[in-house]
Amino acid sequence: MTAALLALADSRLPAGGHTHSGGVEQAIAAGVVSDPRSLETFLRRRLTTSGSTAAGLAAAACRTAGGPRTGAAPAPAGDRVAALRALDREAEARTPSPALRAASRQQGRGLVRVGRRAWPDPVWDDLPAHPHHPLALGVAAAVAGLAPGDAAAAAAYLSITGPATAAQRLLAMDPITVAVVTARLGDAVDEVSAAAVPDADGWLPAGTDPLLDLLAEVHADRTDRFFAS
Amino acid sequence: MRTLVEVVARAGPGGRTVLPVVRASGQLAVRRTGPTTVHLVATAFGPLGGDDAVVRLVVEAGARLAVRTVAAAVVLPARGESPPSVQRVHAEVAGVLDLQPEPTVVTAGAHHRAVLHAELDEDAELTAAELVQLGRTGEEPGRWTGTTRVTRAGVPVLHTTVALGPGAAAWLPPVAPRAWASTVHLGRAAARVTGEDAVRLPLDRGWVASAWGDRLAGTRAGLALLEGVPPVEEVLS
Repeated sequence: MTAALLALADSRLPAGGHTHSGGVEQAIAAGVVSDPRSLETFLRRRLTTSGSTAAGLAAAACRTAGGPRTGAAPAPAGDRVAALRALDREAEARTPSPALRAASRQQGRGLVRVGRRAWPDPVWDDLPAHPHHPLALGVAAAVAGLAPGDAAAAAAYLSITGPATAAQRLLAMDPITVAVVTARLGDAVDEVSAAAVPDADGWLPAGTDPLLDLLAEVHADRTDRFFAS
Repeated sequence: MRTLVEVVARAGPGGRTVLPVVRASGQLAVRRTGPTTVHLVATAFGPLGGDDAVVRLVVEAGARLAVRTVAAAVVLPARGESPPSVQRVHAEVAGVLDLQPEPTVVTAGAHHRAVLHAELDEDAELTAAELVQLGRTGEEPGRWTGTTRVTRAGVPVLHTTVALGPGAAAWLPPVAPRAWASTVHLGRAAARVTGEDAVRLPLDRGWVASAWGDRLAGTRAGLALLEGVPPVEEVLS
């Protein structure tokens, strides 16, 4: 099943992620990201806040969607619809920035579009119309035969690779440098995906970075931007 | 040490609010200081690492409750390897709750976890403020982790965890603020506003505003600027 995980985390998967910079475009404009070191810091921030939140939601969506490797008994379709809808509201509550909400739903819709064709399954119909991206990712993982931990890993990994590629393009950085920066975060990606489980209160991770919210909102007002977010 | 505070606000005769339950044990005392206001009073130094405080607030339909504190809370580390101190506020609100404590100062070596879990009825109103300063003047910053979960009629409207201070994974220079001010309001809608190190985000019939910086005074001023902007509906009406 490793091939399915690689496909999900592959930037070539045409889910529309390439039109989003994960906040890095505005971080560059604000002077927060300018070189490899500041890029690594930015990616670590993103990974441990919104990346960790996305990983928790993706794993939960994967578990809800069921499938051979989720360890869950298949739920009746009606329950699944309600559970995925509840998760979508959890995602919404964890994403108070309107710009980031729109970006997440756009990418969710993009992933559903390709996922439906790549891994046909009736479970896709149980998702809300424009799901948040981690939910689409979790369902994609389930129908592709992956486990919740795989969904979390893909979400955590994608939370840094999108912005890394955007930074490479915007700053004309050496691709090898950017690859090194991303590779150095490998252990942190693993830690974040391992922690993508509910806490003692039964709450999924909700890590948030107000800086990313602010950058996203300032970015949304710009007319000269290359990326959608 | 374990601290428990319980306050119940109930609609009384003539539209007044009565407080049938006002009790506290441990490191906090609670005093009724106005018709709908209680003050929490610290009865000991701290909180100290390992301390655990629970504040249970119930505001029934038609009742109002304002919760204040008399002074800043200065969080101190326990001796040796200091575990975090925890304060959990659990609020069930059908009326109007206004929760605006004085700042929390987290001294070097201390880690304070603050949890606000507010469960609102459909027509409830909530205003909850949080003011944090990491480290006293000239001191290394402590660590603060704040989780806010607000639901309305069972639907989550805001759920965030902000972690600040040394050891927090995303507290990284150049943006590693020592002061944090945040207000969440559910009741009336407000438009999005951005400022310098400050942002107000709209929620369903509400908003959340946050500001950060080095010193709490300037950060509070940044937050006040955001809150001073009238809701767009007001301007348009």
